[in-house]
Amino acid sequence: MIFSSELIKGTLKTIVLKMLADNGRMYGYELTQKVKEQTADRIQLTEGALYPTLHALEQEGLVTTQLEYMGKRVRKYYSLSPSGQTRATEKVSEFAEFVNTMKLLLDTDLKTA
Amino acid sequence: MYRLSEEQIDYILNDIRRGGIETEDLQLNLLDHICCIIERELGENDDFGHFYHSNVHRLYKNNLREIEEETVNLLTFKNYYTMRKVMIRAGVLSATFFIIGSIFKLQHWPGAGVLIVLGIVSFSLLFLPLLCIMKAREVRTSRDRMVVALAGLIGILFSLATMFTVMHWPGANVLWFSSVGVSGLVLLPVYFFTGIRHPETRLNTSLMSVLILGISGLQFTLLNTRPGPSQGHVRVQAWIAEETLLQSMQPDSMSVAAASITNLCTQIKSMALANAADNPTLKLREGRPGDEFTQAGQGVKLLAALQKAVYDYNKVHGHAALPYDGTLLDNDLSQTGYQYTNLSLLTAVTQLQMYLANAEGNHRIAAVIK
Repeated sequence: MIFSSELIKGTLKTIVLKMLADNGRMYGYELTQKVKEQTADRIQLTEGALYPTLHALEQEGLVTTQLEYMGKRVRKYYSLSPSGQTRATEKVSEFAEFVNTMKLLLDTDLKTA
Repeated sequence: MYRLSEEQIDYILNDIRRGGIETEDLQLNLLDHICCIIERELGENDDFGHFYHSNVHRLYKNNLREIEEETVNLLTFKNYYTMRKVMIRAGVLSATFFIIGSIFKLQHWPGAGVLIVLGIVSFSLLFLPLLCIMKAREVRTSRDRMVVALAGLIGILFSLATMFTVMHWPGANVLWFSSVGVSGLVLLPVYFFTGIRHPETRLNTSLMSVLILGISGLQFTLLNTRPGPSQGHVRVQAWIAEETLLQSMQPDSMSVAAASITNLCTQIKSMALANAADNPTLKLREGRPGDEFTQAGQGVKLLAALQKAVYDYNKVHGHAALPYDGTLLDNDLSQTGYQYTNLSLLTAVTQLQMYLANAEGNHRIAAVIK
C-alpha cells in the first residue's frame, strides 16, 4: 500500500528533518531512495513536494547546504543546522504524540461503530 | 551503470529550463536528480532519449512548472505571514501616534509634532508599501499590479506632502504637485482603461475614476500655483507699512531732544537706503559696521550719536520712554563683529521713531496704539 500524497504532504518536513538527523548530510535523490528503502516502498517522496520543502527549510535556516561540483552537474547536500536539530526533535516527538492520539481516536471510533 | 555525456546533461538542463523551472537552485537540484535516476535505472546500451522522455513525467502530475510554483508558494507564504504581522504592527503604531499626537496638538503640549511625524513616517514608509506589496500579490495581471503600485506611490506622496506642509519643511509644494500629477495624469488613465474593458468591473471603475478625479481636482485647487512672497519681501512690506504709519503719527510739536533724534534717524535711514540702492528689494545683507553701513565710518558715527541721544532722552523722560535694551542701539558699536542688515537697521530706526512720536505726546495716536 502506498500512502496518499495528502497524508505525506503534512508530514514531509518531519520526514526530511528526521532523515537528515539520522544520516547527516544527504542530497535530494538520496533522500527519496532512503525513505523508499526504509519504508519498504510504502512512502515515496515525490520530487514536486520534496524540493520545494527543501528550499523552504533552507530559507527558514533549519538546514544548511553544501555544493559539490561533478563536471557539469552540481550536487546540493543538505544537513541540519543547530536550530534544525532542535526542530527535528520537536517535530518527531510532536508527530509521535499525534500518532498516539490518532490511535486513541480511531480505536474509539472502531469500538462505537 | 549508464554514463551521461556532457551533451546529454546540457540537454536535460535545457529541457528543465524550457519546462518552466526558473530558480537556478531548483534547476541544479532537478538536474542532479534526473541524472541519478538515469544512471541508476538505464542500462549501458539503452537509448537515452527514449528513456528520458518516457520517465521525466514521473517528476510531476501535469507539467514541470508546478514544482517551481510550489517552491515559490512555499517561500512567499512564509514571508506573507511575517509581512502581514509587520504591516499590522505598523498600522497600529501609526494610528496610536496619530491619536496621541492629535491630543497633544489640541492641548498645545510639547511633542505633538514629533508624534505626528512618527505616525506619518510609519504609515507612509512601512504600512503603505507593505499593504501595496500584499495587494499586488492578490491581483492577477501586471496591469492590475501597476495600478496597485501607483496607488501606493500616491498614498506615500500624499502623506509625505502633508507631513512637509505641517512641519513647514521646504519641498512640500513639489510633493503635492507630484502626488496630484501622478494620480490625475498616470493612475487615472491606467486605472480607467484597465477596468472599463471588463463588463463586470465597468460600473465600479467609472465611479472610482470620478472619485479619483474629484479628489485630485480638490487637491489641485488647494495648491498654491504661484510662488509665495519671500521672507525678505514680506519684511520690506512690513517696514514700508510702518514707515507710512509713522508719517501719520508725527506730533504737532517736538522738543529739541526729540528733534535731534528725528534728525539722526532720518540721516541713518537715508544712508541705509542709499547703501541698498543697487538692490531695490533691500535684500538682507550681512555686514559689519564700517564695512557695509559705512561711507568712511559715517554710519557708525551716526549710530553712536543716536545711541547717546536716546540714552540722554531716557534720562530726562524716564527709563522706558524709548526702547533701548535689546535693540539695535544696545550694542557696543566699536565691536566690529556685530552683525546687522540694512533692512533690520531701517526697521529698528523707524520703530524707534514711532516710540518717540508716542512719547512726544500725540495722544490721538497713543490711543490707537494702545
